[in-house]
Amino acid sequence: MADLTVKGAALAAVAAGDFADLPIHDPAVECASREQIRAVQLEKLKAQVAWTYERVPWYRARMDELGVAPDDVRTLEDVRKLPFTDKAVLRETFPYGLFAVPMDEVVELHASSGTTGKPIVVGYNAHDMDVWSDCIARLAQMAGVVPGDRAQMAFGYGMFTGGFGLHYGLQKLGCMMIPAGSGNTERHIAMIEDYGTTVLIATPSYALHVCEVGERMGFDWESSTLRVGLFGGEPCPPGLKAEIEARMHIVCTDNYGLTEVMGPGVSGECLAARDMQHIAEDHFLWEVVDPETGEPVPEGAMGELVLTPLDKQAIPVLRYRTHDLTRVVCEPCACGRTTARMQKVRARSDDMLIIRGTNVFPSQVEDVLAGIEGVTPHYRIVVETVGGLDRMTVHVELKPEAFSDSYEEMDAFRAAIAEKLKGVLLVGVRVKLVEPGGIERTTGKAKHVEDLRKK
Amino acid sequence: MSVSQISVFLESKPGHLRRVLDSFEEAGVSVRGYSASDTGDYGIVRFIVDDPDAALAVLQGQGAAATKTEVLCVRLDDRPGELARVMGVMADCGINVSYSYSLISTYIALSVKDLARAEELLAHEPVELIGQDSLAQPFGAAEASPAAEGGR
Repeated sequence: MADLTVKGAALAAVAAGDFADLPIHDPAVECASREQIRAVQLEKLKAQVAWTYERVPWYRARMDELGVAPDDVRTLEDVRKLPFTDKAVLRETFPYGLFAVPMDEVVELHASSGTTGKPIVVGYNAHDMDVWSDCIARLAQMAGVVPGDRAQMAFGYGMFTGGFGLHYGLQKLGCMMIPAGSGNTERHIAMIEDYGTTVLIATPSYALHVCEVGERMGFDWESSTLRVGLFGGEPCPPGLKAEIEARMHIVCTDNYGLTEVMGPGVSGECLAARDMQHIAEDHFLWEVVDPETGEPVPEGAMGELVLTPLDKQAIPVLRYRTHDLTRVVCEPCACGRTTARMQKVRARSDDMLIIRGTNVFPSQVEDVLAGIEGVTPHYRIVVETVGGLDRMTVHVELKPEAFSDSYEEMDAFRAAIAEKLKGVLLVGVRVKLVEPGGIERTTGKAKHVEDLRKK
Repeated sequence: MSVSQISVFLESKPGHLRRVLDSFEEAGVSVRGYSASDTGDYGIVRFIVDDPDAALAVLQGQGAAATKTEVLCVRLDDRPGELARVMGVMADCGINVSYSYSLISTYIALSVKDLARAEELLAHEPVELIGQDSLAQPFGAAEASPAAEGGR
């Protein structure tokens, strides 16, 4: 029996193809047959639709308009008869318009980081909090977190779902929470050392910052107690994760979720297939649709993820359009789980940039940079109009070892990066080299794109 | 004979050069000459200092992109035509000067591709190469002990 609390043990077991010792939080659900999972989903979907129709006037009106009644949902495919929900609905009904329980039953409020206009507010009753914690415990165990681990929070607490969501779930699993909160990197490092922290919860970009600051302070990551990184809040490019794992000597997984349907915990990465995340299918019904038409795409094809929470009482949401692009596969995983897996979200249908008529995703830039020695994974894209044309500039951070005392070499390096970007993006971009550390590290969602074009 | 040059990659923005100079001052590193030039987006600032290893350590400690290279350093006499004479020697020897800048007093730094070959060629020419040690002392003292080493 491998002792998973030993640093490196989980990855060693995975490398040996030995998944038997890795914990599965709820095998009855996570390892059930596809038929059992679909049966649970159908039963819950029917109840959820009835709950929503009875208690939320907005949904009742929409369903009546579409001529669909709760009884019309007889199979899982019947979910397509239901109306979609998008962010705008949650804004229009701000703050409590979609709530389905009396306010005195609501035990917690959270809100999304709305950058424009009103935020999206969601509420949870005690049942919702239980479900949420359960989802978090599952994804924590996928990463090899076990009861007794000491988990240090580097997300901000507050209205954002990431902080408290992970906090409650890890506590429920039996971890000791160290609620450090965001910011003050040197203090984080001191706390890891002083309190024997084994798990760090952070955005991947902040984790890298912690790593770099620690290295500069002379902190020895290899001999530190830290063993696991639980990442969320922003997509984690594979290159960034591999770099953090190698430099901090930890195993990192990232999880997926969004405030509108619950928060983190919708899906999580296991150690067997690192590009995929297991969906908590007994709590979320997934669909993958064509973002233009809303029609389902063929099984396993890329499309927009649509989620219907199946266990959400305080604020039920039907068919939420996530705008996240992914594909979902249902084959069993080497880790032993049978729950469907979604490919990690690397692009959103709404963060696509159109540069001189060509579609460009920031994730493509990330992929190119991950393959170039001498630059960090940090970048920034600035789009502006120059002489009536779109101009995209990618700010790329130089690694100290890539610097040479020669303008000729630096310019050749810059040109090579621009050439590689053009090869993938199919549109010419400017590359601007910036100093190591010159791109701002954020604790929240890293702001990668600045679009200065007049809309 | 050559001297060490510390080069650092800096964005062309207010305060970035000062940050480097402040850290030099804190570390007791004395700048004996420098050159800053840019491409519009970024620049390479090159320093010749009394203690190059300390300067490099300071910059690397900050995570900066910095490197140490060797350049020739020539002491000129302060009289009209002297610079033309020295550059003439370089040209006659077939040494291409990639870039050059002046330091304290009448010292100039010259970057060449093949340092060893240049030193060999210049050994019998009327140019006074100086070494790192000559840069450690304040200007007045250096003048007072002429051509400490390498002078002919």
